[in-house]
Formats: sequence, C-alpha cells, structure tokens
Amino acid sequence: MFEIIRKGTQHESPAARADELFKQQQQEIYVKTDQLFAKLMACQWLACVVMAIVISPYTWSGQAKAIHAHVWAAIFLGGAISFFPIWLTRAWPGAVITRHVIAVAQMLMSALLISVTGGRIETHFHVFGSLVILSFYRDWRVLIPATIVVGLDHFLRGIYYPYSVYGVLAASPWRSIEHAVWVVFEDVFLVISCLRSIREMRSIANRTAALELSEQNFRQIFQEAPIGMAVVGLDEKFLQANAKLCQMVDYSEDELRTRTPLDITHKDDVDLSRRVATGMLDGLHSRIEKRYLRKDGNFVWAARTGCVIRDENGDPRHFLIMIEDISKRKRAEEAVRDSEERYRLLFETNPYPVWVYDPETLAFLAVNQAAIDRYGFSREEFLSMTIKDIRPAHDVATLLDDVSESSSETTRWRHRKKNGAEIDVEITARSISFNGRDARLVLVNDVTARLRSEKALEQARDEADRANKAKSEFLSRMSHELRTPLNAILGFGQLLERQNPTPTQRVRVKHVINAGRHLLGLINEVLDISRIEVGRMQLSLEAVCVAEAIEETLDLMRPLAHERRIKLVADVDLDATVHVMADRQRFKQVLLNLLTNAVKYTPVGGSVTVSYHQNGDDKLRIRVADTGPGIAKEKVARLFTPFDRLGAEMSGVEGTGLGLALSQRLMQAMQGAIGVEDTANNGSTFWVELPRATSPLEQTRSRKRKTPTRQPRAEGHKRTVLYIEDNLSNLTLIEQLLEERPEIELLTAMQGRVGLDLARQHAPDLILLDLHLPDVPGWDVLSELKADTNTSDIPVVVISADATSHQVKRLLKAGAVSYLTKPLDVPEFFRVLDGTTSANGNGQNDASRSRANLAEMESTS
Amino acid sequence: MNPKTKIILTVLLGLAWAGVAVVGGHALLSYENAPGEVGKVPSAWPVNSSIRLATDRPTLVVFAHPQCPCTRASISELASIVAHTQSKARVLVLFYTPRDTGDDWRNTDNCRTAAQIPGVSVLADVDGEEAERFGAETSGHAFLFEPNGRLLFNGGITASRGHAGGNAGESAIVSLIDNQSAGSAQAFVFGCSFKTQREGDRKCLK
Repeated sequence: MFEIIRKGTQHESPAARADELFKQQQQEIYVKTDQLFAKLMACQWLACVVMAIVISPYTWSGQAKAIHAHVWAAIFLGGAISFFPIWLTRAWPGAVITRHVIAVAQMLMSALLISVTGGRIETHFHVFGSLVILSFYRDWRVLIPATIVVGLDHFLRGIYYPYSVYGVLAASPWRSIEHAVWVVFEDVFLVISCLRSIREMRSIANRTAALELSEQNFRQIFQEAPIGMAVVGLDEKFLQANAKLCQMVDYSEDELRTRTPLDITHKDDVDLSRRVATGMLDGLHSRIEKRYLRKDGNFVWAARTGCVIRDENGDPRHFLIMIEDISKRKRAEEAVRDSEERYRLLFETNPYPVWVYDPETLAFLAVNQAAIDRYGFSREEFLSMTIKDIRPAHDVATLLDDVSESSSETTRWRHRKKNGAEIDVEITARSISFNGRDARLVLVNDVTARLRSEKALEQARDEADRANKAKSEFLSRMSHELRTPLNAILGFGQLLERQNPTPTQRVRVKHVINAGRHLLGLINEVLDISRIEVGRMQLSLEAVCVAEAIEETLDLMRPLAHERRIKLVADVDLDATVHVMADRQRFKQVLLNLLTNAVKYTPVGGSVTVSYHQNGDDKLRIRVADTGPGIAKEKVARLFTPFDRLGAEMSGVEGTGLGLALSQRLMQAMQGAIGVEDTANNGSTFWVELPRATSPLEQTRSRKRKTPTRQPRAEGHKRTVLYIEDNLSNLTLIEQLLEERPEIELLTAMQGRVGLDLARQHAPDLILLDLHLPDVPGWDVLSELKADTNTSDIPVVVISADATSHQVKRLLKAGAVSYLTKPLDVPEFFRVLDGTTSANGNGQNDASRSRANLAEMESTS
Repeated sequence: MNPKTKIILTVLLGLAWAGVAVVGGHALLSYENAPGEVGKVPSAWPVNSSIRLATDRPTLVVFAHPQCPCTRASISELASIVAHTQSKARVLVLFYTPRDTGDDWRNTDNCRTAAQIPGVSVLADVDGEEAERFGAETSGHAFLFEPNGRLLFNGGITASRGHAGGNAGESAIVSLIDNQSAGSAQAFVFGCSFKTQREGDRKCLK
C-alpha cells in the first residue's frame, strides 16, 4: 500500500501538497480580490465624480458660478488614484505590490470621497468598509499601509490644517490617537479574522491534500486492481471502468461509458444479469458467473460481484461492480469435464471388464458394460453384490488375503459367472479415490482361452524340442554313419594316390576322391545349414585380417585355378592392417565358396579378381569378380535358394547348390551381407560385406601362422602308436598310412578295454581313439587314460565321424590333444601325427594347440 | 512586455501615481481649508439694519448664499446649534438675493433646509445690503448679538469649506447662548463669496 501511495503521488509528502494547495488558494484569493478592487476602484471613481457633480457642481461668487473644484478633483485626482492600482491588477495580479498599492489607493479614495461629500460622517464609513474589503485578501499586512495612510492623513492635516481636523487651531495629539485607535480597533479584529481565515485555509488545504491523496489512492487501487472494476450509474450506463476491465472486454473507457453492462453481456446471461441488478437494489449482494462480450465478438467468462453505493440518506447513487476473469478456470473445468467424460467413456467402453469396489465392504461401486456382458450380471445386480459373490465358493477363503495385497501387480484369480461357469482371470488393481472415498480399481482380463492356448503351445513346444533333439541326433548319427564309410573311401583313395599309381589308376582314384569329397562337402554344408536354421551355429567373432584370409583362400584355390588355366588376381594392395569382425573359419569358408564358384564357372583362360574397398564408415566390401558368362537377371533372385543351381546341373560343372545358400546364412549370422552385382554376359561379381574391426594383435598372430615351425623328425627312435578302433577298414587305412612312417610301430585294439590294457602295458607315444567302440564309449576310455597316472601323459588324438562342435569341445576339454574328423584328411593326419610323436616331445605343441582350440571354442559357446 | 520593462514601467507609474496623489491631495486640502473673506464687522448691532434685534434673548444672524454647495454644511451646523440652544436665541438666516432674480434663485436646498429648521426665520437679503452692513462677505458667516446689541461672535460654523461636523464656531455659539457669557469669539468662514468676482478673482476656486 505504501508503495502504491509513493507511486501515485507527485509530492514528497502530504504536507508539501497541502502547502502547495494553500498557496494556490491564497494566490487565487489575491488575484480575485485584486480583480474585485479593480472593479471597485473604477466604480468608486465614477461614483466620486457623480457625487461631486450632484453635491457640489458649481462654486458661486455672487451671481457668478464656476465648476466646483470637487468636480475636477473627483475626475482627475480620483482617476489618478484609481488608474495605477487598476493597472497593477492587470500587470501584476496577485502580487504583493498590487495589493499594498490598492490598500493605499483605497484609503486615498476614502479621503477624496470624504472631501467630495462635504465630510459627511457616513462617508467616513468608507474607510472602515475599505479596511474590511482589504481583509478579503486574508493578508493582514495590507492593513498596515492602509492604516498608515489614515494615520498620515490625520497627522499631516493636524500639522498643516489642524482646524479642519480638530476644529481648533492647535493640534491635539490625543485626538489623533483617538482617531487612530478606532482604525486600529478595527484592524485588530480584521487581523484576527485574517489569521483565522488563513488557519482555516491551511486546514482546508491539509484536508484537501489528504483527500486528494486518499482519492488518488482509491483511484489507483481502482485503476490498478487486478480484477475488473466499474462504477455504473442508475441509468445503467458505465460511469467509470478500470484498465483491467477495459482489457478484459477490449473496449476503451470512453467506449464503455456509452454502453451498459447488459450491452456487453452474452445474450444467454442477460436475464440473469437483470435479476441480479434488481436484487442489488433490494440490498442483496450476489456473485454470479456470466459471460461478457468482447469487442471482437468473443466472450470472456467472469465472476461478477456487485453492490449498491448509497448516499447519506440511503438512496442509491450508483452500482459498484467487480469482475474477475475466470476464463482459465472455466476452461480448466471444461477440460476436467471433457476429461471425466473421456475417462467415463474409456471406462464404459473398455472391452475388458473394469470395476471399482470398496476395499472395506468389498461392495461393487461401479462396473462397466464389458463386466456386465462377460459375467452376465446386470448393473443393478453388480452394485448390490460384493466381489465375494464372483469368487468360486472354495476360493472365498483366500479372498481377503488377495484383497489385502494392495499391490498393483497383475494377479491371477478364478471368477464365477452368473451361469456358474468359472473362468481364469488376470486382475490388475490399484488404489484410487472414488467419489471422495478409498476404492480399488480393477481391470479384469479373461485369460481362460489364453491359458488353454499356452498349455497347447507348451505341449507343442515340448514336442518340437523332442523332434529337434531327434533331428540333431539324426544328423549326428547320419554324419557319423556317412563319414565312417567316407573315411575309408577317401582315406584309401588318398593312400592309393600316394602309392604311385599308373596314370589310368590315378584318374580313377582321382574320381573316387573327388566323389568322396563332394559327398563330404555336401554333408558338411547340409549340417551347417541345419545348425544355422536351428540357431546352433556357434561363431567366434574376432578381428580377422582380410589380407590373410584372401591370401589363404587364394592359396587354396590356386591348384584348381591352375588346372583350369584361370588367372587368380588380388586387385588391391593387401593391407595387413585391414580387419573385419568375423568368424575366421566361416569367413574363409564364404570366400572359398565364392572363389570356387568363380573358378568353376569361368571358362578356361579366364580370370578371377579379388578386391576390397571401404563401404561407408564401418563396412568393408570384398568383391570376387570373374569373366564367366554372368547370371541372368531373372535368376538372381534364386541365387541363394538351397539346391537351386540355376540350371548349372546341366552344364556338367559339379556342385551341391548349397554353397551360396550357406554363405548367405553365414554372412547374416556374422552381421554381414552377401550380394551380386549383375553383369550378365560380362561375368559375375559377388561381394560380401562385414563390419570393420581394429586388431593390431591380429597382425602379429597372422605373421606367426604364416611361418609355422616344423620340428625336425627324430632319427633312429622307434615310436609306438596305439589305435583303438572297431572299424576294420579304418584300422587298415591307418595301418597302410603308417607304412609311410616305418619308425612308427602301430598297435591296434578293436575294443575299449583292450585299448586301455595296451596303453598301460606299452605306454605308446600316441593313442588314436575312436569314440564309437563296442564295449566302452571312447569318452570313458579317454577319461580312464587321463585318470591313470601311467597313461595320463600319453597324448590322445580322437578320430571320429562326429564333427559336432559340442563333441569336439567336450573331448578336448577332457584331455584329447587333437580331434580329427572322418573321413581323414591325410595331410592333416600326418601333420598331427608328426606333431605329437616327434622325438623332442612335440606332442606338447599339439597339446598347446588343442588347448588354444578349446579356448577358442569356449569363447564361442 | 518583457519583465524588465514591466518592472521599470511599474516603478515609473508608481512614482507618478505617488506624486499626483501628494500634489493633488495637497491642492484639494489647500482649497478646502482656505477661509473666505471677511468685511468690516461692527462690534454692535448695526443701527441701519432693517432687521430687528431681539431684546429678550440673543440674536443669531447667518448670511448664506442660496446656491453655494459649501453652505449646505453651514445650514446643517446651524440646525445643530438650534437643536442645542432650544429657542434661547432668535435665529435669522439671510439669503443673498440679487434684485433682478426671481423666486428660483432662492428655491434651493439651502433655503428649504434652513426654512425647515424650527425657530429659524429665513429672510432675503436683497443685493446683499444687510450682509454689507454686518461686514459679511462669505456665505456661512454667522453673527451672535446680545439683546443689548453687543456682538458676541462672528465667523463660520464649519471646520472647512463645505465640511460638516464639529467645529470651533458652532461650539462657541452654543456656549455663548447657553451660558450667556460675556466674552466674544470669532472663527474662519468657509463658503462662497457674496460678491460677484471678476475673472481670475473667484475665492471659491482658490
């Protein structure tokens, strides 16, 4: 409030304002009294002239007459006395000099009038009257010059014309004092009167200043009130409106003054407003909410409060109305209503049964239509029931425990419908406030059908698992059963090839080996696809050096390419620092697939080019381009379909039709991609794309692998190898292979127990172990060998047709130093054999490699 | 008008105004306080007077000019004297009446007022012969004689020209009549002259 006062006033204090008002009023009085005297003096002058003419127009000498001196004196002396003060009232209105000259002039005029009227006693009243009129100035100081003039008049007359004053020829000071006392007597009262007037004026100024301040405060409060305020006359027109109201209705105050509140009232609220206005006149104070029309035609919601301001007689003077903008609140209420409606709609039309119940009485408070439809009870029935009524009789005992758990987690209950049928439901409940009381909101999901489906699904999954297990078992067994004869076929084929056959025999042996390898490739690829499809393909993603992978695969492909006189080109500087994230073996397998296809389908004398380049920020694309016939556009979509060779089966080129399908699945499993750039009639370009990786260590590893160290074979040392195998052809194959190593003595056992005995008796340098033995599984044999201190140091190499990684890992973990799969890769066999039987104990090298392999496998599991 | 000029003009006008007031006032006072001329006043009732001296009481004779505005004050003072003395003296007012004038000459306020004063006899002084016998040359000149004809008082009964109010002459007459004192007194006479003045010799305009 203090701030408002400070802001609203232009004066430092009310006293200063009072002083200013006092001075203003005083000055106004001075000026007005000046004007009064200006007129009075003009009139006096005229009156003086008239009186002189009437009273003493002529002076006589015998019969001769002349204009009386009084006439001339009235005209000229009176004019001269009056002119100057009249001029001063114009030139210096309200000035001190003006009123003091007026005071002197007025007294001089009194003297002149007294002279002109022949000294009538009545005319002397002019002196006293003039003093009274001078007191109109309410400045007692003006009485001083007037009194001095009167005094001087008497004093000088007494000196110079004592007879005219006192009727005696000698002046008496007591007469002067007597005359002066009368004037002073009047002066005293006039001074008192002036001082009183000044006090009253100051008092009025103080009151006016206080009133002004008060009015200013009220006006400021009115104007700056945060709500709309208006004063309305009894004729219903606006008299005053504050800024807030003008802002609310967008009318200026002047525009409002030409209107009535009803003019800016929404037509639907006019009757209400009229009734309330009438009520106000009857002394009723009412608050209504109504709409005021804005100038732009929109309306604003407002809470209007009003009262009648009455005069001291109790008669109405005007209305005071206060208008608060409640548009925001109305909008909020509307939003709440809309929201409630929406939620009611959501509640009512929810397809799931929803209800609200009292957690104390368990009585239903509200249910939706879905609950009515699903349970068969009418709404009235529901609202007269408790939730106990929809629980099966045997379940009611646990109801209270269920209810007491106020968690909002979903729980499963059983409910009873009106027809007695029981259903399984999932209940999600939470505490809410419903109509001002605690309640629980329940959402019901009938899961009877879903539970049935889940049960059926579980059964189906169990069956599928069993079928899958059977399939795996089948594949494992098939792999073993196919690999075992293949071992003999390929093994003996390779053996024959190494025994200097005739050219004809060599060709025939070659056919046998090729057919066997084809069959082996087919088996491996089928197994790989099968593993990928059931999600059992285990990959070891690591940073793989691209240059190394390309070099290795090119090395592998060179014999075939040479044979077909096809040029293999690496059309890029093989940078050993470029790595991709991939499974090393599978990545090479894919590259090998693509190169094999390229070499196979490229005519003799053609070329195959391998290149790679960065594709985007984090991908590397490796391209294999050939100069073959290319692939027709319409066939591209079928490229990655298993067993679909796109008609190549008629070309005489061997193939299974699984290579690209397997490659695609492998690339997808390694977060890579494979594709072809169709260049029909201009050869084909296949590409694979893998995420880039950084692995400085890989480079080092790569170099180490490229320069394998071969240990010199020990000379003159007889070594013993025990082969435990129940298949005779396999035994024969190994016997014949070992003929190339005459320093090795082969011991054989076709049963596990026999093998164990031989191992203990002879402590061979190496044990070759088959897993499918007739008496004891190879696994148990290995375990016993490793458990026996006499045989635990003997390196064991498993030779099995079971190529599943799980099996390989299991056996390596059990202590096998290597795992060779059937059919035997003869060079690999000799490498392992040489590595494990070398005189300086190189078996440890192979063991280390086996542990490395094991660690690699574990990391992928 | 610029403020400086205004101030200078105000000062000049003020000085002029003060000068005029002083000079004008002084001139007016001088005029009003200038007594009229007095002729050769006899010490006793003139024997050649046509007016009869009262033997039972004093006789007050006042010579007046019927047209003189200054005499209005003398008549007024005479009424006051009569009121105070209550017929203790015979009072005569002789109005100067030129021979060739008609009744209008004396049909004035002065004559009518004087005639209305109880106990006052108003007479016409044709051509101012009686005034000349008594030595009166100025209107308002009063003479008080004892019954034996001795002059007790001669002079005016106003304080100044045309100025009513208490004055020395009035007081002296009242005192002489009331006390029958043997002393004599005189006072200035203020009023118009009975003698027609030549141009430049008008006392009233002095």
